[in-house]
Amino acid sequence: MTTIYRPISDPLEYDTFGCHPFENDPATPDRTTRQVFFQRQVADWNVDMKDGSQLQFWGFKDPNVSGSDSPWPSKIIRVKQGQIFHCEFKPTKGAHTIHWHGIEPTPMNDGVGHTSFEVKSSYTYQWCAHQAGTYLYHCHKNTVLHFEMGMYGVLIVDPVTASPDSGNPKYLYDPYDRASTTEAPGITVGAPYAAESILVFDDVDPVWHKLDHNAGMCGDDVGLDKFDPRYFLINGVHNGLTQIDRRTTTTTTAGKNVLVRLANASYSRLHVTLDVDAWIVEVDGRPLRTNVAKGAFAKPKLLPKGTRLEVAVAQRYALWIPKIPRGDYRITGNFHHWITNKKHFDGQAVAKIIAT
Amino acid sequence: MRRREFLRYGGAFAAFTAVSTSFPSFSAAQTTDPADAPTGEEADFDLEIVDVDVELIDGSVVPMYAFAHAGKTPTIPGPILRVKQGDTVRIDIRNSSSRSHGFQILGQDNASASGLDPSDGDGEDKARIEFVATKPGTYFYVDGDNMPINRVLGLHGALIVEPKNGFADGAAKKKPMPYAPASSASIKSLFGALGEAAIGGKPARFPGKAWQAGREYIWIFNQIDPVLCRRVAAGENFSASDFQEQFHPRYFTINGLCGLDSAHDKATCPTGNTGEPALLRTMNAGLATHSPHIHGNHVFVLTQSNANGVPVYQQDLFEHDVWLMPPMMVKDVLLPFTAPPDIPPAPWRMSQEKYPLRYPMHCHNEISQTSAGGSYPMGLVTDWHIDGPLATS
Repeated sequence: MTTIYRPISDPLEYDTFGCHPFENDPATPDRTTRQVFFQRQVADWNVDMKDGSQLQFWGFKDPNVSGSDSPWPSKIIRVKQGQIFHCEFKPTKGAHTIHWHGIEPTPMNDGVGHTSFEVKSSYTYQWCAHQAGTYLYHCHKNTVLHFEMGMYGVLIVDPVTASPDSGNPKYLYDPYDRASTTEAPGITVGAPYAAESILVFDDVDPVWHKLDHNAGMCGDDVGLDKFDPRYFLINGVHNGLTQIDRRTTTTTTAGKNVLVRLANASYSRLHVTLDVDAWIVEVDGRPLRTNVAKGAFAKPKLLPKGTRLEVAVAQRYALWIPKIPRGDYRITGNFHHWITNKKHFDGQAVAKIIAT
Repeated sequence: MRRREFLRYGGAFAAFTAVSTSFPSFSAAQTTDPADAPTGEEADFDLEIVDVDVELIDGSVVPMYAFAHAGKTPTIPGPILRVKQGDTVRIDIRNSSSRSHGFQILGQDNASASGLDPSDGDGEDKARIEFVATKPGTYFYVDGDNMPINRVLGLHGALIVEPKNGFADGAAKKKPMPYAPASSASIKSLFGALGEAAIGGKPARFPGKAWQAGREYIWIFNQIDPVLCRRVAAGENFSASDFQEQFHPRYFTINGLCGLDSAHDKATCPTGNTGEPALLRTMNAGLATHSPHIHGNHVFVLTQSNANGVPVYQQDLFEHDVWLMPPMMVKDVLLPFTAPPDIPPAPWRMSQEKYPLRYPMHCHNEISQTSAGGSYPMGLVTDWHIDGPLATS
C-alpha cells in the first residue's frame, strides 16, 4: 500500500513552532509617540458556576485599579479610531501574549508566538486602529487552553465624531457622508445609539480548568481534543443569573436606539436570536455600507425578530435596534456541539434589554 | 487506455448499482448565463481511488483512502481539477481500493457515479462521468457513497470552474475576475477597484495590482479520527449516524497538513507583495464546524455554497476576520494583500521591523489547533506573508 509521508521538516523549527516558542522582551520596533496608554498584567480569579462550584479563570488585570484585581472577564478596552495605542504588558506566571483580535498591526505587535515572540516579562504593544468597530483582545499562547481559561476581553474602537442626534449621541462608526441615504440603506448612517449591550458568550469545561499553563505543548496528550462544556455564561455571568445581573442586562428609555455587540468566545456553534427586529450593521469591526473608493461593498441587513444568527467562534456582530419599543427583550444564545451540532445540555444563556 | 478504445466502455457505469447513501443528483444549472452553453472544448481526467497509509504530524500512521491521477502518487485532498466554463468534462474513475467507492461532483449536473466495485486489475473496468461545466466557482468532488465516511477518510478534492469571460472591465480586459461579469454587481465592483490608486479623484483602498487569473490558493479543511480510520480499514461497516455519533477527531488538517507542515507548504501559505490580491478557495470536507480566523488583513466573502454545493455569488461582500465553515461549506474569499491597516499612518515608517510580515490563519475553535490531545499549534493553521512593499503593475 502507498504511504503518504509528511514533509521533511527541521526538528529545531518543529520545536520552536510548538513546544518552545521564542520568548523575548524586545523594545517596541519603530516606536512612536503614544496617544492612548493602557497597562495589563496577568491575573487569576475564582468564578462562581451555576451549581455553586468555583473554577479558576485567568485573564488580564489593570494594575492601576486600586484595592484589588478587576474582575473576570478582563476589563473592556475602549480607544478612539486613529489614536496611537500603547499597551504595556507584564505577564507573570510564565510567558503570555496579547493578540488584538481583528486589529491588524505589524507581526511584532500581533501577539503570536510562532510568527513573532511570546512576552517573557514586559513588552509594549503598538498599533493605530483605522476603523471603529467591535474587537477582542486575548492571549495567543497555548491558545487552545488560555482562551478557554478566560484570557480575553472586549476591545472597542469608537469613532471620532459624535452623532448630531442628542437623543442618540454615540455613533458606532464615522459616516463617510452623514447626509447620504445610499451609504447604508435601511439604517441611519453611523448607527447612532443611546444604550449599548455588549455580550460575550462562553462555555466552560471544568476539566480544562485544572490544567497547567503549558499543558500539552510538548507532545503529551492532555485531552485538549475532548471539550465537554458544562457551564454557559455571558460576560462571566452563569446562565442562571444572566437575565437579572447588571452585567448582562441593559436598561434604556423606550424610543431610543440600542446597539448590541455580540462575540462568541466559546468552542461551540452559537446561535443567537433576538425577540425584537434588529439590523446587522457591522461584522468583525467592519461597518456594512457601500463606497467603492473606500473599499466597502455591503449593505446593512435586517435580522427579523426570532431569526437565528450563527456567530462563528471569535466572530463579532453589531446589531442596531432603532427606536426600541417599550418592553423586555431577550437575547438568547444557544450553544451547539461543534461536530454534532446538537444543543448542549443546559446550553442556553439569555441576556436582556429592558426599555421603559 | 486511449480515448478511442475507451469510448466503447463509456456507458459501462450505468451497470453499477446506485447506493442509497450517496448524494442525490441535484439540478445545479439554474443560471441563465449564456456562457454556460457547451463550447465544444474538452477537459479529460483519469482518476483512481486507492487505499493509503497517511503519516500524521506526530509520525503516527493511519489508513485512509485517496484520489490520484491514474497511476500517479495519491494525495489527500485529491488532485485539483481545473476546467473552463462550457467545457465538456469527462472524468474516468478506476477503483483500485479494496472497498467499493463512488465519485460525485457536488453542484454540477450529471456528474455522479456510484457503487464502483474494486477493479480486477485488467485496466478496463472504469466508470465515466461526462458533463458540461457551468457557473464559475469552486466545487467539491467527493466519493458520494457511504456518506460521509469515505469523504472524511480522504476522498475529497476541488473542481475549479474558470469563467469563459472573467473580466470586471468588459472589453478593456485589464481587471480579471474569477467569475462572470454578471455574477454580482458588488463582486464586479470590488475586482474593478483592485489595483486602483485613486477612484473618483480620491485615494482608493487597493493600490497596486489588479487580481491576476491564477493568483489563488485552495484551503481544504478536514478532521481525522485515527480510531475510526483503523476500524473502517479493519472491515467494520458504520451507518452514517453511527459514524457521526462516534466521530472524535484528533487531527485537524488544511490540505492534508497540520501546523508546521501547512505553514511551510508553498501551495497552502499565500505569499506576495503589498497590493497583490489573492483568491482563497476555502472548503470544509469534514464533520466539524470550523471558524477560520486570519491575522493581518480581513477577507471579503465572495461566494458561499448552497445545500446542493452550488456557489452563490454574494451581493453584499461582508468583510470578515473570522468566517463560518460548517461541514461541506465552500466559500471563496478575497485576501486583498493591503498593508496591514492598523499600523500607524505616515509619517510613521516601518524601518526597524522588516519584511516579510508573517501572519497566521487558524481555526478559532481552538480544539482544532491540537494534534493527539495537545501539541498546540500543530493543527488547522497556516501562515501567509507580505513579502515587500507596494507592488505596481
